[in-house]
Amino acid sequence: MLDVLGLRKVHGPDPDGPPAVADLDFSVAAGEFVAILGSSGCGKTTMLRCLSGLVPPTAGEVLLHGAPVTGPPKDMAFVFQDYSRSLLPWMTVRRNVAFPLRYQGVTGPAARTATEEALAAVGLAGRGDRFPWQLSGGMQQRVAIARALAYRPKLLLMDEPFASVDAQTRAGLEDLLLEVRERYDITVVFVTHDIDEAVYLADRVLVLRPPAHVSLAVDVDLPRPRHQVDTKRLPEFGRLRAELFAALDGGGRDAAAPAPSPADAG
Amino acid sequence: MGADTAPAVPAGAALVSGRAGAPARGGRAGPVRARARRWRELGVRVGGVLAVLAAFELCSRLGVLPRQWFPPVSEIYVELFRLAFGRPLWVEIGRTLSGWAIGLGLATLLAVPAGVLLGSSRIAYHLSRTVIEFFRPVPSVALIPLAVLVYGTGLDMKVFLIVFVTFWPVLMQTIYGVQDVDPVAKDTARCYGLPPTAVFRLITLPSAAPYIATGLRLSSSVALVLAVTAELVAGSPGLGQAIVVAQSNALITRMYALIIVTGLVGWGLNSAFQAVEGRLLRWHPSQRQEVAR
Repeated sequence: MLDVLGLRKVHGPDPDGPPAVADLDFSVAAGEFVAILGSSGCGKTTMLRCLSGLVPPTAGEVLLHGAPVTGPPKDMAFVFQDYSRSLLPWMTVRRNVAFPLRYQGVTGPAARTATEEALAAVGLAGRGDRFPWQLSGGMQQRVAIARALAYRPKLLLMDEPFASVDAQTRAGLEDLLLEVRERYDITVVFVTHDIDEAVYLADRVLVLRPPAHVSLAVDVDLPRPRHQVDTKRLPEFGRLRAELFAALDGGGRDAAAPAPSPADAG
Repeated sequence: MGADTAPAVPAGAALVSGRAGAPARGGRAGPVRARARRWRELGVRVGGVLAVLAAFELCSRLGVLPRQWFPPVSEIYVELFRLAFGRPLWVEIGRTLSGWAIGLGLATLLAVPAGVLLGSSRIAYHLSRTVIEFFRPVPSVALIPLAVLVYGTGLDMKVFLIVFVTFWPVLMQTIYGVQDVDPVAKDTARCYGLPPTAVFRLITLPSAAPYIATGLRLSSSVALVLAVTAELVAGSPGLGQAIVVAQSNALITRMYALIIVTGLVGWGLNSAFQAVEGRLLRWHPSQRQEVAR
């Protein structure tokens, strides 16, 4: 469904400058949940912005359903880490969820139904008349997820969406995400720096090392539905976690080294 | 003379601080205690005003201040109430306010679109910056001779002055506001496929609104100062001219009463602006009464 081919992104005008993303290749099958794991500063966010069509890549291609992505595709939704900035404070929760629908051609009763359904799916039925800033952080991120759901995307890109909520809320949001993803049949690309989160959520985990390229791909064969306590107690969970930790740790040391020379980059 | 009336345009960020936390903090003390505290605060404030008035009254009555130039406050207020029940005072207020309203309205109509344009185009902004920086600090009253020469001493002259001077703060605030749209909000809009017109209407304009409101509130008081100044100096009809007439007829009490009226008009306009701002921008951090979480 999503194919990333030889993606390369250099910030600034000089195409030969140090890349943030280099030689990135991977594919995501329809219905798959792929977690992209990387330490901070490894180029995850830049990669995701290229995937979403928000910024053009310097070289390489992103194909969605086989067609190159040149701008934000119609059937893609994006959930940002910074929910307080992604939600518009001058709109009520309901309007925050509903406003993109019009530009997708959904209006009137259909838009209202989609909005209320999405709010109910994230457990915010009856909160539509409030403003986002009247809600807790976890609820605000649920509003952002509801907005994405109401849009009925085929592909959902998420940029560390749960990084700024507390651990309890985070567990709740993870389970909510797994549940709505089943119900709405969405393909998810989920960027995170949290190993447990990646293993718990995903069908497959890709480890990125700077400049962003896939250094390890691991299939996660944990049974679904997953459970916050039981799944994390499985020996397989511990094994995956150790493997990814080792792969990331190497990445951490790479990142700490001063300006890697081109020879090291491969 | 009036050079210091040119407003200092605050950097956009200053807007968020200010009143943000203050009103919410007291709310926790329980409604009864909060109410008692509010009454006490009001009492203290009224007491302060009364003390100053009483001091003036005494100074005048006891001859500490020459009574000829400083009539007792009580007489001024009697005159004020007498004027308030007559028609002429309201006609003068109307004249001053019509200059204020037309001038500020025109300035807004010109400055907001111009600010949107300059704020959204980097090239236009840099092209125009020097010109703006040249015109903005011109002391407003220095233009009165020019305005009188071109427009005479009527309403047109007042409106010209007010438009010329209030244009700049509204323009600058609009530019800052448009430039300060949150990049995450813009990315969100792009991800969801909003066309540029919708981005402008749903994202850019609402997020610039608090800046524009600040510009308008600053401009409103400047516009009033200019209207009264033009009336005083150039003799266009209005409150300022009424003050001059009272003074030259040695009606000192009336002069004081009219000065108080101009103060009240300014206070009223400012309060009205704050009320409208509080209503329309209740989502903005500076206006929120409750804290998230």
